[in-house]
Amino acid sequence: MFSLMANCCSWLKRWREPVRKVTLVMVGLDNAGKTATVKGIQGESPEDVAPTVGFSKIDLKQGRFEVTIFDLGGGKRIRGIWKNYYAESYGVIFVVDSSDAERMEETKETMSEVLRHPRISGKPILVLANKQDKEGALAEADVIECLSLEKLVNEHKCLCQIEPCSAVMGYGKKIDKSIKKGLYWLLHIIAQDFDALYERIQKDTTEQKAYEEQEKRERAERVRKIREERYFFLCDFLFPEEKEIV
Amino acid sequence: MLESRGLLSILRKLKSAPDQEVRILLLGLDNAGKTTLLKQLASEDISHITPTQGFNIKSVQSQGFKLNVWDIGGQRKIRPYWRNYFENTDVLIYVIDSADRKRFEETGQELAELLDEEKLSGVPVLIFANKQDLLTAAPASEIAEGLNLHTIRDRVWQIQSCSALTGEGVQVRERSALADRHLGLDGDMDTHGDSRSL
Repeated sequence: MFSLMANCCSWLKRWREPVRKVTLVMVGLDNAGKTATVKGIQGESPEDVAPTVGFSKIDLKQGRFEVTIFDLGGGKRIRGIWKNYYAESYGVIFVVDSSDAERMEETKETMSEVLRHPRISGKPILVLANKQDKEGALAEADVIECLSLEKLVNEHKCLCQIEPCSAVMGYGKKIDKSIKKGLYWLLHIIAQDFDALYERIQKDTTEQKAYEEQEKRERAERVRKIREERYFFLCDFLFPEEKEIV
Repeated sequence: MLESRGLLSILRKLKSAPDQEVRILLLGLDNAGKTTLLKQLASEDISHITPTQGFNIKSVQSQGFKLNVWDIGGQRKIRPYWRNYFENTDVLIYVIDSADRKRFEETGQELAELLDEEKLSGVPVLIFANKQDLLTAAPASEIAEGLNLHTIRDRVWQIQSCSALTGEGVQVRERSALADRHLGLDGDMDTHGDSRSL
């Protein structure tokens, strides 16, 4: 009887939990299958995807979570933008092309750089070992070894789960179960530590926004000055004698 | 046949194009190369191009879409008229002279003001880092940083290096749609593509 009441209480507690907004950042090398994965999650065909060299995002509801996933371009020369999205992210989804053994070293270095970042360290990471449908794809254990994943996540205190999967196998309800499972895991981990994460994210995003606002103001001011100078220059040029009068 | 990866990626993400007709607005500072780009998209001669006082429009068939591309003059005194063209825009293409570093701040400021416009809210933006044929051109990544593109959170954005002059990154190829389908280029090439275009 007592346990029944306790059960009831916990159920009620959960029912009264507010809707939580969670932002996740999805990164990984170019051609790893990030956009295909988010498309699949969104219920759209993951085929027919063009490389992202920029930013796009998807919103989805998952139980009590309103999830936003930032899908960022993975090409070598666009990776520089990733860090700007770390402050507001509760967790990382890192997509790996398991069939591309040649780029494992690059993947390892890239992942290390992500986890090392002060705005990411300590946050949970889901590794999707994608393209398992391809011949010669590295199995879970091999991917872990190639990336020195254990060492990496321990060093940076990131809780980690790896899911071998195939983003192109299905979408919507037929999406690869591993992707779903991984996403559940990530959200579950975030929920467990929500308050601390929330606080950290508030602090980091406030800092970043203040910085961005200041930059924006300063730039607007500089551009205004340039425009003015150009105007005065033009005036001087057109009406040189008036200047002497002034 | 128009084949710009950046444009392709954005078109693929467009959901609301029921009649497959897409209105594209081409903006940017004066001398960024908007008109050259437009002519290149339409496979037209680019040898005699003068500053645009009003606007140019071209319709191009690509990827099963009919693209209506509006190119509006970019000189400072006519920029206020840009707003007359905002309505019903599906994609904004913003062109930058990648070699004109002195004006990066000004072009960034103009772009920021555009993105604040209500009528353009949520409209995906493709940034063409043009004039990559010049030795002094800044790479797209530098432009992405310089223009603070990461502060754009309310829409899809994409950056692509190109040279409207040589056609690189804006590759215009004369191929029939049928041949494309036959070769399976519609999807295959891009699914397995990389980001070399940047």
